[in-house]
Amino acid sequence: MSDNDTPETETDGGTGIVPPDDETPTWSERKERSQGLSRLTYEYFERARREDQDLRQESSYVERDVLGFPAWPHEMIRNLALSSFFIGMVLFLSATLPPEMLPPADASSTPSVILPDWYLYWSFGLLKLGPLNPELALLGGQKLMADRTYGVLANLVVVGVITIVPFLNKGSARRPVEQPFWAAVGVFGVVFAFTIAALSVKNLVPIGSHLLFDLTFLLPFVFGFITYAVLKSMREGYMFTLNRRYYRLRPPK
Amino acid sequence: MSLEKKDEHDHEGWMEERDLTAVEERYLAILMWLDKRLRLVDYLELLEDMYYKVNLQMPKSHTEQYGLDNKFWYWYPLYALGSFSTLAYLIAAVSGALLGFYYAPAAAASAGDPTVAYTSVTSIMVDLNFGYMLRSIHRWSAQVMTAAVFLHMLRVYFTGAYKEPRELNWIIGIVLISMTMVFGYTGYLLPWNQLSYWAGQIGVEMALSIPLAGEWVAQLMFGGFTLTQATLQRMYILHVFFLPFLVTALIAVHIGIVWMQGIAEPH
Ligand code: HEM
Repeated sequence: MSDNDTPETETDGGTGIVPPDDETPTWSERKERSQGLSRLTYEYFERARREDQDLRQESSYVERDVLGFPAWPHEMIRNLALSSFFIGMVLFLSATLPPEMLPPADASSTPSVILPDWYLYWSFGLLKLGPLNPELALLGGQKLMADRTYGVLANLVVVGVITIVPFLNKGSARRPVEQPFWAAVGVFGVVFAFTIAALSVKNLVPIGSHLLFDLTFLLPFVFGFITYAVLKSMREGYMFTLNRRYYRLRPPK
Repeated sequence: MSLEKKDEHDHEGWMEERDLTAVEERYLAILMWLDKRLRLVDYLELLEDMYYKVNLQMPKSHTEQYGLDNKFWYWYPLYALGSFSTLAYLIAAVSGALLGFYYAPAAAASAGDPTVAYTSVTSIMVDLNFGYMLRSIHRWSAQVMTAAVFLHMLRVYFTGAYKEPRELNWIIGIVLISMTMVFGYTGYLLPWNQLSYWAGQIGVEMALSIPLAGEWVAQLMFGGFTLTQATLQRMYILHVFFLPFLVTALIAVHIGIVWMQGIAEPH
């Protein structure tokens, strides 16, 4: 076999095109060549990598916080198993409770009950908060804004508050018993969603409308307090068993 | 020695010396045909690389880590609600596409008769084979999706799954639930019956009572201050064009993020 017949000479397949392996810049070379934002990016990534590695080496996993639980297959297997029941439920409902068709639109006759679909009742209910719109003495008993503007703003406020929840309650994922306060806030919200929905259909609810209005704001607090009390009293026993399981397996240092 | 180089890339020869079943042979032939034209192998490598990067970052689940005997938390079935939302969305998409073959978004009507939109819905229900069931499936999957999304949000809230590093997914979720409701609202208007019409009226009034931008928003979303053909057409395009694209893309991003981060574990 002659010398010039080594595998290396064959890799270009006679085309003269050589794979750029040797010329591909390494990461640090790229970092050196780049400037400005891309340079900063490389520098940050290098730090982040080092941090990851250090954390992994130091870790003895005594703390209970685990970031995540693989979506596949752990979660999906169960979900797939439940899917057919779910689809069956949708088909069953469709077959047994078909929707009705109401009379055609008629701009000249207002129906006695005007309602959106049920999932918008909460928003519809917030439009009926007129009685809470303060009449400002400063404006001579005038309201600062029309009742309906007030209602639309109430919608925005509710959505806004839900949006910032992650920035109010920080830390790692916790069960409700471990955070009775936030669980109580959640129950308050859920109950309020239902009571405000009931308020929006007040002419269909067999309760006096003043009582209903008061209950709308009272019930959420009542249920919130009950939740707090129950969870707080459950907490000790619950955490005891939870911790016992952990520390039996991993005695604290 | 022969001047002829041995062909390293003789894939056919390679296939012959292997003992392949008919299925394997077909599969390889198709794969090679596509690979020659599209360089699939590059993309496969890319995908594989991504797959491992994404999956290797995943820490072991808590129960795996500690070999706990009790691997089941009674809340786990509620973790299926996100998937249920996706499923209901898919059912609604398929049934909705089929309904779209027969529905016409026209508010025109000859004197005294219902509008074209209204009659097209009634004819789906009355004349079309399986049409009533189709409409029923579309209605119910939409209702169930909204319920599932709301319950999913509660599950996320009560397990504290919205905390760092999942804030972004929470915010995407808020956008998704809002768009789900707008989906429902625009769909509610399409049959153009009494409730559709008057719910539309409320919508216009809500839009008008937004400070400063009110009239502009009413024009943009409802095509004017009263309900006309323009309103129906806008609702239709929102319902079958804008929202499907947006919601599908956002659900993909939402689930992609879950895939990368793993499901939060409140253990
Ligand atoms: C169209 C609506 C939605 C779809 C299709 C959807 C889909 C999903 C899916 C499939 C998951 C995986 C975990 C699970 O199934 O529980 C998930 C997780 C998550 N979703 Fe949604 N979701 C939707 C709406 C929402 C809403 C309204 C929120 C909250 C405001 C939200 C916040 C989250 C968060 C924070 C996670 C991560 C939870 C964890 O890691 O445990 N999503 N979503």
